[in-house]
Amino acid sequence: MPLLEVENVTKRYGAFTAVDGVSFTAQPGRIVGLLGPNGAGKTSTIRMITRITTPDEGTIRIGGEPLGPQHQRRMGYLPEERGLYRKLKVGEQLVYFGELRGLSRADARARTTRWLERLGLMDWAGKKTEELSKGMQQKVQFASALLHEPDLLILDEPFSGLDPVNAELLKTTVLEERAKGKTILFASHRMEQVEQMCDDLCLIARGRVVLAGPVREVKQRFARDVVHLEFDGDDGFLDRLAAEQAVRVVERGPGTAEVQLLDGTPPRRVLDAALGSVHELYRFSLDTPSLQDIFVRTVGETARVAGGS
Amino acid sequence: MWFIVARSEFLRRVRSKMFLVSTLLVPLLIVGFGVAGGAMAVAAMETGTHNVGVVDSTGRVVTRFAQTERFNVSTFPSEADVRQRLDDGRLDAYVVIPANVLDTTAVVRYVATRGAGLITQEQLRSEVNDAVRQLRLDAAGLSPEAQQLLKRTPRWEASERSGEGETASRAVAGAALGFGMGFVIYLVMLLYGQMVMMGVMEEKQHRVLEVMASSVRPFDLLMGKVLGIGAVGLVQMAVWLGAVATLGLFAGGIAGLFIDPASLNLPTGTSGDELLAASGVTMPSIGPGLVVAFLAFFLGGYLLYASLFAAVGSAVEQQQDAQSLLLPLMMPVVLSFVALQAVLTNPDGPVAQALSLVPFFSPILMPARMAATDVPAWEVIVSLALLVAAFLGAIWLSARIYRVGILSYGKKPTLRDLARWVRTA
Repeated sequence: MPLLEVENVTKRYGAFTAVDGVSFTAQPGRIVGLLGPNGAGKTSTIRMITRITTPDEGTIRIGGEPLGPQHQRRMGYLPEERGLYRKLKVGEQLVYFGELRGLSRADARARTTRWLERLGLMDWAGKKTEELSKGMQQKVQFASALLHEPDLLILDEPFSGLDPVNAELLKTTVLEERAKGKTILFASHRMEQVEQMCDDLCLIARGRVVLAGPVREVKQRFARDVVHLEFDGDDGFLDRLAAEQAVRVVERGPGTAEVQLLDGTPPRRVLDAALGSVHELYRFSLDTPSLQDIFVRTVGETARVAGGS
Repeated sequence: MWFIVARSEFLRRVRSKMFLVSTLLVPLLIVGFGVAGGAMAVAAMETGTHNVGVVDSTGRVVTRFAQTERFNVSTFPSEADVRQRLDDGRLDAYVVIPANVLDTTAVVRYVATRGAGLITQEQLRSEVNDAVRQLRLDAAGLSPEAQQLLKRTPRWEASERSGEGETASRAVAGAALGFGMGFVIYLVMLLYGQMVMMGVMEEKQHRVLEVMASSVRPFDLLMGKVLGIGAVGLVQMAVWLGAVATLGLFAGGIAGLFIDPASLNLPTGTSGDELLAASGVTMPSIGPGLVVAFLAFFLGGYLLYASLFAAVGSAVEQQQDAQSLLLPLMMPVVLSFVALQAVLTNPDGPVAQALSLVPFFSPILMPARMAATDVPAWEVIVSLALLVAAFLGAIWLSARIYRVGILSYGKKPTLRDLARWVRTA
């Protein structure tokens, strides 16, 4: 049974419909990627789940019950705009947030110590938050979202602005929480992270869900129509193929290219064109599109449909 | 939940250096300024002797000058002489007394260098006045005994009768106390109301409100903040009141430093407390009822204004944007401070009675009135009940503005926007 059910939820701000009939579910032990370009309605959706705002239409359920104030304690929320009290000490800050989510003072203290150790921030516990670097503040914020061991973890762009080492640390932590059976909602517009981590995805554009389901299924819905190439020499064949409307160049760099085959172009046509142009061909592979590509294709189509109507 | 918020807000502020400094420093500054001001006034009175020239056409006025160490008086035949000496710097001031001074209201001219000061002039003037008066009385044939009698003004003792009998009048002291209390409430209400506003604004600026709003109901958040900061205000007030009470014990002694017994026709050895009594000032008796009322109205007023200040803070991002929204909020506070004078002048009048019942005015005016006169109990109770009702209304209103305000960024909201938020929240 899903822990979180969002059903036909709509939110309007004046004449602007930020979220338009969005539905999706999140299961324990799985990470749902809530994806979409900036302004798609991800944060508006999250704000309704966290009860910061209320939906104009539709229902949200937690564990089968309609969302109520008692559910806020079961959630841990890492907002996209990080917010900490700058003058409070790191330790005090975490204890305070823990208490606000229903922990006893002693419990909040013990867990604060544990999390600060785990995230390598123990030396900073007594420092004022404003003295910390942005990355460290983000780790503190992350700890504040997890301190009370919430069943539902809501992370809005959790890795933005982190260096690779710390991003990896937080990623490992998130995966550990998944292993413990927590339900995780992960909002992002960074596709490669979602592809690595998420079990399910829900793609939002212009306030509507345009694509949803388990990541593997979604990818299977798209044919193997992407060719990856690595080579030495002249890459003029890419321009010729594109001009003939045979392929769409997704990405190209010095000696590498990713193209999408258009309208049943046989892969062989690309291979022939390449062999006729380059010195040496190191790689030629036919793959399913990346999430990034699926995202661009789907959102691009919606944009076109919406723009044309 | 609001309790956790209130405790955190309270501890955070009470532990700050700012709090320690302002709590200790303000009474020290007040006492310091008082003592320094008094000391300077005393010192100013005793700045050396002045050389004063007198051209006395009657020849008799100057002989009646009382002995004083402050002047070095010398007489001269003509104004030309004294003018010359003033210009040379040998004289600080001179007085020209015309011959007809005893019969008519002739003009006595006083000329001084710039540095001679006001005190010199006032003292010379009373010297001349006293001398002329005595000479006129002599001329009228009054005996020295009769003249002494004329100098003795009757002592005045004001009392007021009530059901409990007769007590020393508190009219002067009560008005002073009422003004002091009104001023303190005015100051602290504004100070702490703004502190609440800044607190909310800071949370909004640093985007903490979103995290908070995902954990706590806006009502709890608002309530906790207002009460926590209110508790800080109470602690500070308690310290200050304690300081004032301590100071009050020594009021007589301090007054003794500044009031000259002779001016009240009392012997020089008179104690400070007797001095205060003689000058018509009775130390106001601050009964427990007044203390309770003071605290109740202070709290009620603070809660009312602070919850509205919080709403303003949640609506704006920067302090400059708050100005237009603050105006309607500041107006009643400033108005009640303006009305304070009128209310204290006639504390039983209809204006005082009416204004001290209105919630936005009562926090300042009712305790002030109570200090100045006996306010019927029902009026106090009605006033307090109205204040509580207004506070509940205000916090309801604010919680609604707050819900929308904390997520509104970018545009500077107007009063009309706030009204819309209240309706839609």
